[in-house]
Amino acid sequence: MGLVKGAVSFVRYSVEGTMPGNFWDIVAERVRAFSFKDIDDTLDEFSVGWVSVYDMFDSGFAYNAYAAGDYVVLAMRADERKVSAALLNKFAAKEEARVKLEKQVPRLNRAHRTEIKEQVRQMLVRKTVPVPAVYDLCWSLAENTVLFFSSNNKAMGMLEDLFKETFDLHLVLQPPYLTAEQLLPPEKHRLLADLEPALFAGGQP
Amino acid sequence: MDLLDIIAEKRFLGREFLSWLWFKSEERSGAVDLPEQGDVQVNFEKYMLLESGEGENQEKLICRGLQAELQEARTGLLMGKQLEQARIRLTTRGEYEFFLTLGATLLDFRNVKLPKTMTEGDEESDATALEGRTLERIALIEELTRAVHDLFRLFLSLRLGPAWETELIRIRKWVQQAAA
Repeated sequence: MGLVKGAVSFVRYSVEGTMPGNFWDIVAERVRAFSFKDIDDTLDEFSVGWVSVYDMFDSGFAYNAYAAGDYVVLAMRADERKVSAALLNKFAAKEEARVKLEKQVPRLNRAHRTEIKEQVRQMLVRKTVPVPAVYDLCWSLAENTVLFFSSNNKAMGMLEDLFKETFDLHLVLQPPYLTAEQLLPPEKHRLLADLEPALFAGGQP
Repeated sequence: MDLLDIIAEKRFLGREFLSWLWFKSEERSGAVDLPEQGDVQVNFEKYMLLESGEGENQEKLICRGLQAELQEARTGLLMGKQLEQARIRLTTRGEYEFFLTLGATLLDFRNVKLPKTMTEGDEESDATALEGRTLERIALIEELTRAVHDLFRLFLSLRLGPAWETELIRIRKWVQQAAA
């Protein structure tokens, strides 16, 4: 569902704010500063950053692959070590049973159980391989809009944070009401704001 | 109003647009006249999701199938539900044919099948060829978003103007026909 191949799914954002200085120089510097850092050989749980839309392993952006005409094209890559709830519950229960036996107590208090669960989670995270997810974006400089090629809430949240951190610019999602404000002349905005839902089934208008 | 409130409180706007677009496309066998531009072709296809209510009271109706079976979706409109998603075939003035699922709440585009391009299947992977193919796809995506925005603008001009009352009467007649 990405920008460069196959079927696409996307949502629209407007970009709020401006970047000082030479746009492309700043983009080059910031994109590289916030490029994706691999965690395959570390014990980190999570990493997010920019890679090329053409190659998820290219975080060095050879040939300025973030530029296409008057568009910035990037992919946000997020790698995460995930532990399934079933796995966590199984090993936490096992560890609780071991501790109860060791301490010769019939039950553990809530705080102790929470502590055990967190220790087990960390142990399992370290044994897990990071799962990658890649989401493309296309930033139109002419329209100051960003198309983000996913409508997954978690991915959209990550994008908004990473974009703000990288470029110091806000992304504002454009649901129909905000799109309508963009499409209508300012004198119609009051009418739009006062609009009430219409009944499409029966009755008088 | 913050963004979440806007999405929740103004959700009806996107749903009304999508439901109106369905009505509009059936009025003239898919042809929708855009002012100063002429006809674009909008056909609703095989998949619709209708919703009503919020939270625990939310009801959903999914309709899949051929045109005849979309009758059930029309009955859904009659029961007060509105379109939340619909699969649409849209042929723009540039004669490009797109297939997409349009979402009403976020005005999001899902599973968009772009028209075939001259360079599709091109295996060259040097930087210039990649950039050229990407720009070609961006141009098509922009053609699609422009067409949907033009349709939305047409809806808004009706919805906020004096012609809406007449339009709404026609929509209600069309919805009523579903029960006949």
